[in-house]
Amino acid sequence: MAAASTSPSDAQTSSGLGRESEPSLDVELLKEIGKKALIDALNSVNGAKTLVLDPTLAGPLGLVTEVALLKHHGVDKMFWLEPGPLSSTTSNIVYLCRPLIKYVKILADQIKRHAKESLKHRYTLFLVPRTSTLVTRILEEEGVLGDVTISSYNLQFIPIAEDVVSLESDNAFKEIWVDGDETVIYNSALALDTLQKLYGPFPRIVGKGDHASRLATLLTKPLPEQALSTTNIPPPAAPFDSLIILDRQVDMITPLLTQLTYEGLIDELIGLRNSQVELPLSLLTPPAAPNPANPAALPSTSAAAVIPVNNEKMKKHHLTAATDPLFAELRDLNFSSVGKSLNKVAHRLDEDYKARFQAKTPAQLRDFVGKLGGLQTEHQALRLHTGLSEMLVPVTRTDVFNKSLEIQQNLLASYEVSNQISAIEDLIAQGADMQVVVRLLCLASITAGGIKAKSLESAKRELLQAYGYNYLPLLLSLSAPPLSILLPNPLPVSTVPSVAASKYPFTTLRKSLRLLIDDNPEALDEVENDISFVYSGYAPISIRLIQCVAQKNGVISNPAEKNVTDDGDAKGKGSAKKLYAHPILGWKGFEDVLAAIPGKTFDIVQKVPGGDTAPSVTSLLRPHEQTTTTIVFFLGGCTYTEIAALRWVSRQNRGRKFLIATTGIVSGGSLIQSIAGVSKKGPGSKDTSIYSLSTRLTLLIQYHTSALEQMAPRAESKTESEKPARKTKSSAGSGGRKKLSAFNKFMQSEMARLKETEPDMAHQERFKLATANWKTAKENPRATA
Amino acid sequence: MDTAMEHPTTTWDAMPDGNVFYRRQQLYSIPGKLPDLGDYIIAGCRSGGPIALMRDNTKLIAVGRATPAFSKAQIQIYSPAGDGLLLFSWDQGRIVRFGWSFDERLVVLNEEGVYRLYDLQGDYQQFSLGSEAAEMGIVDARIHENGLVALTGSLTLLEVKGWEGGRPLALAAPGLSEPPHAWAVIPPDQNISRHVEVLLSVDTTILAVDNLESVDQRLSRGPFTHVSPSPNGKLLALLTFSGLLWVVSTDFQRSLAEFDTRTVGADGQVNQAEWCGNDAILVTWNNLALLVGPSGDTLRYIYVGTTFAVTDIDGVRIVSQDVCDLIQKVPASSVSVFRPGSSSPSAILFDAWESFSRRSPKADESIRSIRPDLAAAVDECIDAAGREWEPYWQRRLLSAAKFGWGFLDLYNPTDFVAMGQTLKVLNAVRFFEIGIPLTYSQYIYASPSQLVTRLTSRNLHLLALRISSFLSLKPDVVLKHWASAKLARSKSSTEEGDDEVCRLIVDKFQTLGGGDVSYADIAKRAWEVGRAGLATKLLDHETRASDQVPLLLTMKEDKLALIKAVDSGDTDLVYHVLLHLHKRLPLGSFFRLIEDGGARLASASRLLQVYAREQNREMLRDFYYSDDRRVESAVLSLEEASRMVDPTAVVTSVKAAHKFFSEDKDRAFEAKMMDESTRLLSTQQQLEKDSDGKVNFFGLSVSETIRTCILNGMAKKADRVKAEFKVPDKRFWHLKLHALTAMRDFEALDAFARSKRSPIGYEAFVRHLLEKGHAKEAATYVIRCDAPKRVDLYVDCGEWRSAGRECKERGDKARLEQLRKRCPNSLIARELEQLAASMK
Repeated sequence: MAAASTSPSDAQTSSGLGRESEPSLDVELLKEIGKKALIDALNSVNGAKTLVLDPTLAGPLGLVTEVALLKHHGVDKMFWLEPGPLSSTTSNIVYLCRPLIKYVKILADQIKRHAKESLKHRYTLFLVPRTSTLVTRILEEEGVLGDVTISSYNLQFIPIAEDVVSLESDNAFKEIWVDGDETVIYNSALALDTLQKLYGPFPRIVGKGDHASRLATLLTKPLPEQALSTTNIPPPAAPFDSLIILDRQVDMITPLLTQLTYEGLIDELIGLRNSQVELPLSLLTPPAAPNPANPAALPSTSAAAVIPVNNEKMKKHHLTAATDPLFAELRDLNFSSVGKSLNKVAHRLDEDYKARFQAKTPAQLRDFVGKLGGLQTEHQALRLHTGLSEMLVPVTRTDVFNKSLEIQQNLLASYEVSNQISAIEDLIAQGADMQVVVRLLCLASITAGGIKAKSLESAKRELLQAYGYNYLPLLLSLSAPPLSILLPNPLPVSTVPSVAASKYPFTTLRKSLRLLIDDNPEALDEVENDISFVYSGYAPISIRLIQCVAQKNGVISNPAEKNVTDDGDAKGKGSAKKLYAHPILGWKGFEDVLAAIPGKTFDIVQKVPGGDTAPSVTSLLRPHEQTTTTIVFFLGGCTYTEIAALRWVSRQNRGRKFLIATTGIVSGGSLIQSIAGVSKKGPGSKDTSIYSLSTRLTLLIQYHTSALEQMAPRAESKTESEKPARKTKSSAGSGGRKKLSAFNKFMQSEMARLKETEPDMAHQERFKLATANWKTAKENPRATA
Repeated sequence: MDTAMEHPTTTWDAMPDGNVFYRRQQLYSIPGKLPDLGDYIIAGCRSGGPIALMRDNTKLIAVGRATPAFSKAQIQIYSPAGDGLLLFSWDQGRIVRFGWSFDERLVVLNEEGVYRLYDLQGDYQQFSLGSEAAEMGIVDARIHENGLVALTGSLTLLEVKGWEGGRPLALAAPGLSEPPHAWAVIPPDQNISRHVEVLLSVDTTILAVDNLESVDQRLSRGPFTHVSPSPNGKLLALLTFSGLLWVVSTDFQRSLAEFDTRTVGADGQVNQAEWCGNDAILVTWNNLALLVGPSGDTLRYIYVGTTFAVTDIDGVRIVSQDVCDLIQKVPASSVSVFRPGSSSPSAILFDAWESFSRRSPKADESIRSIRPDLAAAVDECIDAAGREWEPYWQRRLLSAAKFGWGFLDLYNPTDFVAMGQTLKVLNAVRFFEIGIPLTYSQYIYASPSQLVTRLTSRNLHLLALRISSFLSLKPDVVLKHWASAKLARSKSSTEEGDDEVCRLIVDKFQTLGGGDVSYADIAKRAWEVGRAGLATKLLDHETRASDQVPLLLTMKEDKLALIKAVDSGDTDLVYHVLLHLHKRLPLGSFFRLIEDGGARLASASRLLQVYAREQNREMLRDFYYSDDRRVESAVLSLEEASRMVDPTAVVTSVKAAHKFFSEDKDRAFEAKMMDESTRLLSTQQQLEKDSDGKVNFFGLSVSETIRTCILNGMAKKADRVKAEFKVPDKRFWHLKLHALTAMRDFEALDAFARSKRSPIGYEAFVRHLLEKGHAKEAATYVIRCDAPKRVDLYVDCGEWRSAGRECKERGDKARLEQLRKRCPNSLIARELEQLAASMK
């Protein structure tokens, strides 16, 4: 389960290409609806306006629209909704925010301030996704209700990939399981209802979990009418066959583990918010003068160019498969095989560029030039992902990272649990991130059914001492009833019975759901052919549960196993052989497993009004021809690895597509941070943001030359390391055909070090200092000789 | 019979140029039904709606006439067929303006800014333009179908959008010094900007005002006595004091027509200048109506007495003392079929059909001659049927169409069927007892469901229901209205009476309405008329919580309302109830209500906490206290501590938290931690004092405190903190290692490393120094690490030679070979080779 397992996973990539043929739902429609609703909302206010935006909405809005569109509809200036005065040049001020009390208070404060300065403005407040009595009440209490026109902007599901839609509600998990605020559930019900109206009804609702069950009951009851801005929608290519709802509490283990797919790891280590990642500017802009003679920036050479300087400007980049086909290829791969994939693409790109030399006739040349644009975008994508992977690699090699992986693996296997607790304490001592430690503690508690009271107490004490006593509420929340993921064993006598009842039967599940794939060499192949590839050997429970409904044989054994043998020789045939998906039969066959997991299990067959005759006829006529869509809704968020695993499941069968819907994308870190969020502003709170990691890694990266090579299989790395070396010289333009001398090498590293340590020194002085150091340096053959 | 029916063209009049026809269709003959219109202020409702009359107090009236003398304002409403629909008196301030909304409600606005919406049953809703408007007073207003614009006493404009009692918005200040001579409003839905535009005739020009700006159109022909925008909002008819009628586009870019009304030779003043559809203008005097066509041609119509004209989208309705007429441009399809000498296919088809019905062989010949255009001719005949008023001609035209399509191979009869249905409905409502003279295009424009609403508002439930089912519309609107009417009528409020009414209503709903009828609306109605028992009974049948809850609240069924709200899952609804109750109930009973609910109301309790944490902490504290929730109280104190800046206040809050925890015997650990926390805070305060306030300690964690101590050269203090808080050696060593590395105090680090045997081993030293980029220093600690790891560590430090020597010491030749292969340059490779050679 080590991150650097070297075997590639061809199966995923190749089958990933062969899935375009089947029709799927067009989720772009949702984006259009969101965009149109926004335009309508803006147009309802006449004239130029100042837009004040809730910062948490910026990301989701960015997925739906662009700034130019806002400007087009009269937005003159934009501000964040932040405490403090607001100066506006237009008479219209439009607030766009979620109905949270803190925002309303800021808004009220700004209005009162304007009134005091006797500035006349017209205020319009758009609440996302719907208006709320609470907001009206608070405005009333603040005494500004009369000044504000309140309306709503119904932003529901936003497509973040071709098969993923999300409500992008950041704190859904915390709100439901810590605060007990079920607004998200109701909003989810409304959003799912909209999906029903757009694409057709859900004939069957299957699910697990108390809150999931609540959502399902809401869906079966009549919901208030929602105005849809588009009316005539073509019938979808692949109608729904069922809706599977899982709430996050059904599988708390998965988010606690470190995600090991490419996209997941980016989220864990750098942070992906609303599909946007913050990257150094140099990674995103193509080099100043791209030299067509030397285009293929292979991993090792690009390292020099990519190294981010410490305080370089960061820029947000939208990671999406729609414009970046390379990302589509990489996102779901286990990180261990990303390096190899990148290499392959680099080679191919190199070949393509070389085609220029074969071009003899003008016609051929023209062809090449025509392709050039495509090659360059691909080249840029390659540069980006190489750079990104290089940012990730050093972190994956740190002691803390590998230790925590090791602890996770041991805990999953229930191996020497008490030793793991002390290992976690060691991590605290080493100064690991708070969220890493808390995740591991929770994982230990869930997998082992509680931690021995004494060691739990000492671990908690360590944690509080190391990170601050203000994390005590966090610990209390984690052990309090609805969540109960950090418990002592045995439970104290006074605990509420519901806590005892909600004990997670991990060890039984591990067997019945085949969660853990052995790490021996023979089993490695199996890892590649099961959803467990996402965690290098561990299958997420949530996805196994979905398989229980939609791919029953996948739970018991690997459906791809039979294909393994002939996978190499016949890729085309492989996909033709894929089995048709079996119809949805609910939990049939897995009732016992489900009963063991705490939380309600449900399976509701909905009456489809009027429409139940038509589909049955078509299904009779062409029993295997029609592709259906199973929509999977994660209440409380899902991880990128779960998406990756579900995509894998969907590739194994024909005739069934998955549409993944979620309240938001989460990772263990973001969950813990949202729960801890209450005390974030507190005294002595350590800056635990995900970016602290990334700044650390920018420091690190200067001392690691490309590590990607070493991740690729040994045999290949040799040939590749030659090629880039040749490229360096011509690209660096330093002229010399000879190899770098020891002096050159020393100076390179020494200058980098000095730049780091003495940032204020002028370059010339630095150079002097470096040459002075050379005399005594160990690298100097003369000095040592 | 054939001859008895006048040919359609008998009502037609050609404009002098002979190409355009207008027709005057008599809708109803109403001799003696209406009072003298000249004495009244009148407002007419579009699309065949009723007219409202109020006595004009500025005009003298002969005493002793039949009309009763009114002591106060009274408004009468008449249907176009002259039947009195409603009479009510007005007891509020002076009425400045009344007009009709799109759903046939009469909007009456008084000078205090209060306006009421009366339906045809006399029930009203009352709204106000706000206290400011009341102070200034309202001078005038323009009421359009979806809102109104009022002119205040200070000559500013207020706009009300919709009829839900929305807050009035001030439009841009026009900067008037006196009331405009005339003014008009272009409703939002007819404006390009989708916002209301007001046109004010001031001096010689027109001001165009919307909510952003007031634009002077710089005209010189004013002032105007009449400003009248066309029904589609594109054109504007202006009448000057000198009697010049001038038509311009509403953006004042194009001047379309001019006509001098003095040339007509009518007596007295112009009463009205109203649009007839979108292309002609009807100017009325007493006894005369003059239709001015687009090119300035005119048609004269003589009436007895004063008339009143109501503009419509396709014509103009004229009410006079004797008749109610519709003047409109003859629709294209009618012209095509009936124009004398028309040779269009539809005319030939109609002719062919007439020949056929007379058994004349000419029919065949005619059909043959229009064979290629037959389909279009059929369509035109169907359309023309829709435009005819007399069922006789409707039937004839439809028969002609049917005859025509017999010659077509393929024909889709949907239009034909739909037209047949529509005409049946239209003829029914045009009947004088119903009195809604709706034209086909008005019907299509307003939609069938609106027609049904209009019928129900006249209490014509049976007809409305029949029409609904005939047009396969949902009957719920009709049923709802019926039930409300039923409630209002049945006066008895005994138990049996309630049961009876409830049963009647439920039965009717279930047999006719399906699941779409909202019982809550009816229940609300029952509550409003003071029949609580019936309301409760009806509410039991309601399935939608969002409809139930508000009513339950007004009925003071607090607990039930809360339970229903929680069950609905709609948190907003729960908040609605909670906030409402919090306002109304004493705090104690409010808390009791929530707590007594137990698990069922748990989510309401959680929501209350979420709200209170942000907005009303005092209440939350009381809530936790009253319920003995120690842990929550403690967390709340901690949360407050985290928001404070003042150190003593923070300490107090943390101490309070400690107290709460210690009161709960299961929270010994937490209490202990809080105790530590307070001790830490005071230690930190001491430390800050020791460092003369140069270093910030307050609020740091234990580890950070130690780290900060070391970073600031207070190593002794760090040791003391370590001892006081029993920090384990391992963590302390890591902390000190990190801190000293950060300070680059490698000598102190060395001394520290030698102080005693490291509890964290020395590999941690190497790794950390490497991580921070101090490879040279890192290498010095390699020798103290475990022997097997040393080679790798040396390599990581970039000390290839040392790595090589290490291999040599351990006699690991294979490893040395490996090193040689991986090493970065030939120089080192050579050295390693030498080492290998020397190993033998």
